[in-house]
Amino acid sequence: MNSGVWEEVGCAKLWNEWCRTSDSVHGLSPTEAYCVFYRLKSNPAVFLCQCSCYVAEDQQYQWLEKVFGSCPKKNVQVTVLTCRHTTDYKSSEPAGSLPSPFLKALKTQNFKDPVCCSLLEQPNFVHDLPAAVLSYCQVWQLPAILYLCYTDVMKLDLLTVEAFKPVLSSRSLKGLAKNIPQSTETLKKLTAANEVQSNIYT
Amino acid sequence: MSKIGYFYTDCLVPMVGNNPYATAEENSAELSINAEVYSLPSRKLVALQLRSIFIKYKSSSFCEKLLSWVKSSSFAKVIVLSSSHSYQRNDLQLRSTPFRYLLTPCMQKSVRNKIKSLNWQEMEKTPCIPEMSDSDYCVRIPGGGITRALYKESCSKEIQMAVLLKFVSEGDNVPDALGLVEYLNEWLQMIKPQSDDPAPSTLLWKIPSSWKLLFGSGLPPALF
Repeated sequence: MNSGVWEEVGCAKLWNEWCRTSDSVHGLSPTEAYCVFYRLKSNPAVFLCQCSCYVAEDQQYQWLEKVFGSCPKKNVQVTVLTCRHTTDYKSSEPAGSLPSPFLKALKTQNFKDPVCCSLLEQPNFVHDLPAAVLSYCQVWQLPAILYLCYTDVMKLDLLTVEAFKPVLSSRSLKGLAKNIPQSTETLKKLTAANEVQSNIYT
Repeated sequence: MSKIGYFYTDCLVPMVGNNPYATAEENSAELSINAEVYSLPSRKLVALQLRSIFIKYKSSSFCEKLLSWVKSSSFAKVIVLSSSHSYQRNDLQLRSTPFRYLLTPCMQKSVRNKIKSLNWQEMEKTPCIPEMSDSDYCVRIPGGGITRALYKESCSKEIQMAVLLKFVSEGDNVPDALGLVEYLNEWLQMIKPQSDDPAPSTLLWKIPSSWKLLFGSGLPPALF
């Protein structure tokens, strides 16, 4: 997000029992959490929200009212990207046999563009903030799509991020991504920062 | 029944999924949310389906909003389908049918004869404070969520409400749901039996796809 292409235009601060940062000196400490909003410099009509905290169920409705309340309901399209663990996915196939990571989608009635993967089939469903956003968009008849990546890792890794690549060729997002051959290398550098720095053998 | 709208509030935990009542490829991609309204105009029926639990401290707010909607929409009658913990039954309840009904006073006047003809069992009043031997008696619905609150409010607001409930245990409640809708059907006759056979018409009810895999995914063969 600090590539110079996006400018930070706002944030939503919240606190709940899940907001903790790990501090090597003080251990886990309570802290405020943020959802940061960015705007694309080359096209100010494009906003991005990076939510790196858990928005609790009793905060979701207010979050939506604050974020969507003042934005016009016409000519708006929403795309939500999120992840879940593969153990959350129910299918008649045993959990370990599914080729992970894989992408599933849910869309509102007014979303008419082609979808980049198969739809999330019953009995699977989505909850938390992505569900709150999609519910809002469905009720207010906004075109919206949720891309959900089922992955079997707990931290960001290259495979999981690459699972979202088909989404970058969708009508709404293709203008945003540079199709560069080095994209895999760039992704590797970004995900390496999250790798475990030490293990029990060092 | 077809979907006619949503009951959008901040009182229920948000969730979304694809249409659990899909009958064909075309309608399987319709998004469903946590509280939706369905209707069947030919039977003058409207159903409110709740799919998630209440957010903490929001259940009474939900009751208010729901009853306010009932009043403003001028529904003739409201029927609440609910349940109560089977382990809380007293000795008499253990020995009788697991189904019970409750009617608000104004509802009793209009449907008393019909209910009498069905030979149904009214929900008994039990001690308000079970531990106290001289406690007053009142209607208690342990495990019934907002049922009692809805019933009490409807009594005081003179809303024509009936509660139909079944004593159930935790676990696979699919047979309980089918039993409860059969109980409702005895009264409303939404599905008429095919012949004069009094056997339950459970085969006529469709099972929604959201009831698949209630106890998780398929088992890994390596387990065995």
